[in-house]
Amino acid sequence: MSFLHINNIKKRFGDTTVLKGIDIAIEKGDFLVLVGPSGCGKSTLLNMIAGLDSISEGELLLNGERINELHPARRDIAMVFQSYALYPSMTVAGNIGFGLEMRKVPKAQRREAIQKVARMLQIESLLDRKPGQLSGGQRQRVAMGRALVRDPQLFLFDEPLSNLDAKLRVDMRTEIKQLHQRLNTTIVYVTHDQIEAMTLATRIAVMRAGELQQLGTPQEVYDDPSNLFVAGFMGSPSMNLLRADIVRHEGVLHARVRKRNEDVLMLPIERDAEALAGWEGREVILGIRPEAITDPASAHHDGRIFEAELEVELVEPTGADMYVVTHLGGREINARMRPGTDISAGTPTRFAFDVSRMVAFDPDSEARIRHT
Amino acid sequence: MSSAMPGRRSLSGARVMLYAVLCVFAVIYLTPLYVMLTTSFKSLEEIHQGNMLALPEQWTVTPWLDAWSGACIGLECNGVHGYFFNSISIVVPAVLISGLLGAFNGYVLTKWRFRGHKIVFGLILFSCFIPFQIVLLPMARVLGILQVANSTTGLVLVHVVYGIGFTTLFFRNFYESFPNELVRAAQLDGAGFFTLFFRILLPSSIPIIVVTVIWQFTNVWNDFLFGVSFSSGDSAPITVALNNLVNSSTGVKAYNVNMAAAMIAAVPTLIVYVLAGKYFLRGLMSGSVKG
Ligand SMILES: Nc1ncnc2c1ncn2[C@@H]1O[C@H](COP(=O)(O)OP(=O)(O)OP(=O)(O)O)[C@@H](O)[C@H]1O
Ligand SMILES: [Mg+2]
Repeated sequence: MSFLHINNIKKRFGDTTVLKGIDIAIEKGDFLVLVGPSGCGKSTLLNMIAGLDSISEGELLLNGERINELHPARRDIAMVFQSYALYPSMTVAGNIGFGLEMRKVPKAQRREAIQKVARMLQIESLLDRKPGQLSGGQRQRVAMGRALVRDPQLFLFDEPLSNLDAKLRVDMRTEIKQLHQRLNTTIVYVTHDQIEAMTLATRIAVMRAGELQQLGTPQEVYDDPSNLFVAGFMGSPSMNLLRADIVRHEGVLHARVRKRNEDVLMLPIERDAEALAGWEGREVILGIRPEAITDPASAHHDGRIFEAELEVELVEPTGADMYVVTHLGGREINARMRPGTDISAGTPTRFAFDVSRMVAFDPDSEARIRHT
Repeated sequence: MSSAMPGRRSLSGARVMLYAVLCVFAVIYLTPLYVMLTTSFKSLEEIHQGNMLALPEQWTVTPWLDAWSGACIGLECNGVHGYFFNSISIVVPAVLISGLLGAFNGYVLTKWRFRGHKIVFGLILFSCFIPFQIVLLPMARVLGILQVANSTTGLVLVHVVYGIGFTTLFFRNFYESFPNELVRAAQLDGAGFFTLFFRILLPSSIPIIVVTVIWQFTNVWNDFLFGVSFSSGDSAPITVALNNLVNSSTGVKAYNVNMAAAMIAAVPTLIVYVLAGKYFLRGLMSGSVKG
């Protein structure tokens, strides 16, 4: 029995179906991150878990108990809103304590709980201020304090860091992760940020247009995407997706990719070979992460490396890495190389492909081609 | 330095004209007030000398005392003070009740929407466009049935009913832009229908409360038509009493007393403007919601 079970949940607004049957189950202590393009229904799903939106169809189980009809205040769930939603007329202490006050917690006990949370979030000196007198980061902390003080069974976060500047966002991300580990809370978290999703989650749910595309650990979603959408959505810079033909060459299955000059590059198939055998003679879409294409010297030799010479079109140093753009399979391809490598545009260079990390997709259904 | 500044140069041209015109209008506008005030501090003999714009030679507060508690209205000679308190006892409950009902309406029409909320709001809004004269007869009948005709209670009812359209309009438009996330957060925190209203929305509504109070107070206080139609004798508001005072004086017209009584009738609205204006704080919502 899982802790939070979202069982085939649907949401309709009038005639439009916004969620088309979502199935997710997580355990106590899990950190579930919902990602997906804008408008795919992440906030709607979160609001339904909170009880702020009604559930059109399906079942919501918390701790084995059906909570579809339970009033939001009685679900033992706290939520941190994107806008923070601090009560403007109350002090910080009033904001944090409001939920306890509504639950008729005695004043002394309330004050103690507020103090404890304020200490944990380092906002003790702000308790007497009004929200209008706080910075963005401080407001964010107060909003978290308001959720934490109630010690609920489940926390919901709707893009809590999206209003902060880049530096603060990284700091708060670390703090949220520490908080999660320290308190061992269960969290459902919505974000647009790839890195937030990867670093915070124990499980990621990728959504598109009201449908769940994949649910898995961050590594699973990253390395083993279940379809073309997930492959393209997760990761930054995103996975290289190129057209290739599956052919048998000297008895071994290969992906044949066209270079710019009508030459072909033959990449041996390492992964999902059984499933791809059925695709011999047909076209697939090949997915290779930028970090699986490197300069030969920095290639991981525990993978299966295949080297080829290609012409460099563009070099983009970022400091930590150097992204090298070349042309393959009718597409621009991003490769991640060691910074300081002596590479310049227009020259032929050796690229090392880690073919053990290559995945393939059905060009029509966009589903991953793999052994089932 | 001075000649090079464009601001300076325009001041000597069109701007002087503009200020001159504005001053002229201000004087025209303020002259009646000046005459009223000075006349109310003059004795009758001095008034009869005919120099309206002159300051009083002999300042006297007798007209004010007379207006307050001695002047004859109809048959009784107790001044306007009784009617002044009538008006107070009409305006205070009328403003409070219509304001509160309007706030509730606005709250429900924006945060607890139901099927057909737009039609309901449209109908309430429509009441703002109904002229006073149209409701006179039906209202008289209703007051009669409720047995509150010719009483201040009846006038309170009339003003509440008539005011709800406006107060609802004010509060609905204000709460329309009140962030829904705040309402949702409070619901998760366990706030119910009334707690949400009194603890979350109302404390953030000071600007619109001030607008509503000013609007309703001036309208109710200055009302003459409803007052003269639905009250009689002792229950009349001060506007009606003022009219009776001016019209019922037998013999010589006591202009100084009339002016003083008119000033007394005008003072509360002035006070409301001055006091309420001070609390008209903008940007009270800043900081609750970002972006
Ligand atoms: N009250 C409503 N009536 C009709 N459609 C709605 C309503 N609320 C949301 N929607 C629609 O539901 C879809 C999902 O909205 P939702 O807010 O859940 O998206 P989201 O994934 O959170 O997007 P974002 O990342 O931009 O926050 C959108 O297409 C939106 O237009
Ligand atoms: Mg959203």
